[in-house]
Amino acid sequence: MAEVQNSNPTILNVADLPTRSRPTKKSGDYDYTSGIFAAVPNPADFLSSDSEDDDLLEEPIDEQEIFDLIKLISDPEHPLSLGELAVVSLPDISIKPTLPSVPSSPLQTVTVLITPTITHCSLATVIGLGVRVRLEQSLPPRFRMDVRIKEGTHSTGDEVNKQLGDKERVAAALENGALMQVIAKMMETCR
Amino acid sequence: MAPSKLTHISDLTPPSLERTWLTTPHPTLPIVATCSSDKTVRIYSLTNFTLLSTITGGHKRSVRTAAWKPHITGESVLATGSFDATVGIWRRWDSYGTTDTTPTTTNTTTDASEDDHGDDSDEEWRFAVLLDGHDSEVKSISWSPSGLLLATCARDKSIWIWEDLDDGDNNFETVAVMQEHGGDVKCVSWHPVEECLASAGYDDTIRVWKEDLDDWGQVACIKGHSGTVWFLDWEGVDTCPTTSSSTAAPQELSSQWRSQRSLSGPRLVSCSDDRTARIWRRVPKESANSALSSAQTGIPSIIRPSGTDEEWVEDSCLPHAHELAIYAVAWSRRTGIVASVGADGRIVLYEERFIAQEGGTVNSADADADAEAMDTSDDAASAPALLRTEWSIVAVVDGAHGIYEINHAAWAKRADRGSGGEEEEVLVTTADDGSVKYISCHDPDLI
Repeated sequence: MAEVQNSNPTILNVADLPTRSRPTKKSGDYDYTSGIFAAVPNPADFLSSDSEDDDLLEEPIDEQEIFDLIKLISDPEHPLSLGELAVVSLPDISIKPTLPSVPSSPLQTVTVLITPTITHCSLATVIGLGVRVRLEQSLPPRFRMDVRIKEGTHSTGDEVNKQLGDKERVAAALENGALMQVIAKMMETCR
Repeated sequence: MAPSKLTHISDLTPPSLERTWLTTPHPTLPIVATCSSDKTVRIYSLTNFTLLSTITGGHKRSVRTAAWKPHITGESVLATGSFDATVGIWRRWDSYGTTDTTPTTTNTTTDASEDDHGDDSDEEWRFAVLLDGHDSEVKSISWSPSGLLLATCARDKSIWIWEDLDDGDNNFETVAVMQEHGGDVKCVSWHPVEECLASAGYDDTIRVWKEDLDDWGQVACIKGHSGTVWFLDWEGVDTCPTTSSSTAAPQELSSQWRSQRSLSGPRLVSCSDDRTARIWRRVPKESANSALSSAQTGIPSIIRPSGTDEEWVEDSCLPHAHELAIYAVAWSRRTGIVASVGADGRIVLYEERFIAQEGGTVNSADADADAEAMDTSDDAASAPALLRTEWSIVAVVDGAHGIYEINHAAWAKRADRGSGGEEEEVLVTTADDGSVKYISCHDPDLI
């Protein structure tokens, strides 16, 4: 990160970012501890029986909530958030049932399309990993993450996508101290 | 079909509190080894589903894979592979938790007499040696059928073959390092009886390796998957597709099947991020070199295989059953049933059957091939027409580990008291929440 790759990025005003009007919170900074964390189901519920429905009556999680989770992640090379840089945006987030053919399945897939600030940004993988890690750490385990580079916005998008979709590589990255320091720094602004 | 064919018998307890990657059954004893992200390996009993011991302190990061060395008596040897780039070898005398099923061994300690048989270490797993060579996370390891060779693979794109010198000093020698893969090598798996290795990985390919005049080299590169190939398993040498009850002369069919199989050898099953599982078959040398045969099989032999090169073709693509990446497949060496598991939390079982023609007879090939076969009936023994089979799904279980992704499945001999018969097999599945489940697939029609 010695050299800034995009020294003059387009910056959005924080006040202009989409937000759900929550009168008690500042700039959409939702209080997670009493929000979705409280709704995380106890894993023991899933080991014992097939009572899928009654234990999962959590507050539904929507795209805005996903956006709120990731918009404050810092860009690794700018003192700006991914939301401000429009690297992540509300229209590029979708939540769909993972198994549409199994209506009773609680599994949902969160798709986040990332738009790097420049098409050859070598930090795209790190940004994508940061988003994925943030979601994995915040969302209940019934969510499947699909974090990808938006088509046509990066020169090696397919390569980056393959890495971000590789569970084993992501797991190994989480055990890589140097890499996790970078990710932790990006997350500092989320808390 | 009826999911009730799969019955959850028990979890192995207590589970790891972190992700578990793989559970490998011991070749003879009713125990399994489970690899966990908490850097440990847990040894569970399959007779009462309890934790027997935990191997700790050997790895600095997640333990990703483990494999039991086959063909040793009186002692168990476990190899473990970790994200810390090393492979550990662990030893333990076979004396605990297995009293009712310990194989009768007349030679008690003669094979491994270098260790004092009377000290405290008898009860514990002894760290033997750390195999250091890979540059990054070790993803899969496999012992050759004889137990002489150990294959390991890693994110560094390489496959290492180590020879266990069995010199009483735990020495291993590097026999070969193969670097042809274009990305992480996710899986290595030895042929069930020969010294032939299959590998697969991030470059979407499957490769087959053999030794030729002291040099290990690639004999085939199999392309077909459109995503990372996560896992491979070999067909057993003795299994045979099932015949429906209306089929005439099942004996004849299976003997024809076996003679055909003796030419091409066991097939491979692979599974991938592309959500498919596929079966691959080696084209017999004599057949590939014969224009007549390639006409029969419908496979054009454009390049004449030379030297040790092998031609592998897609035998079939298993019926679509997974919505997300398939992480593991397990081909039962006893029943021929294939099980697959993956990120969608499903367990799917597939069975191969001979295709019956109208009128209750089983056609051995399509009409053209039949004609060819008749014209060349004197040649039939060397290149019989291919019997036709199809794979069908016989069981699907959604959410087998609740909402969690299933990372691995393996067949094991049933060892608990509920066993329906000596030959019954169970499926052992391993998931992201640390749970390992012991599942009966017992069904009179199925197995």
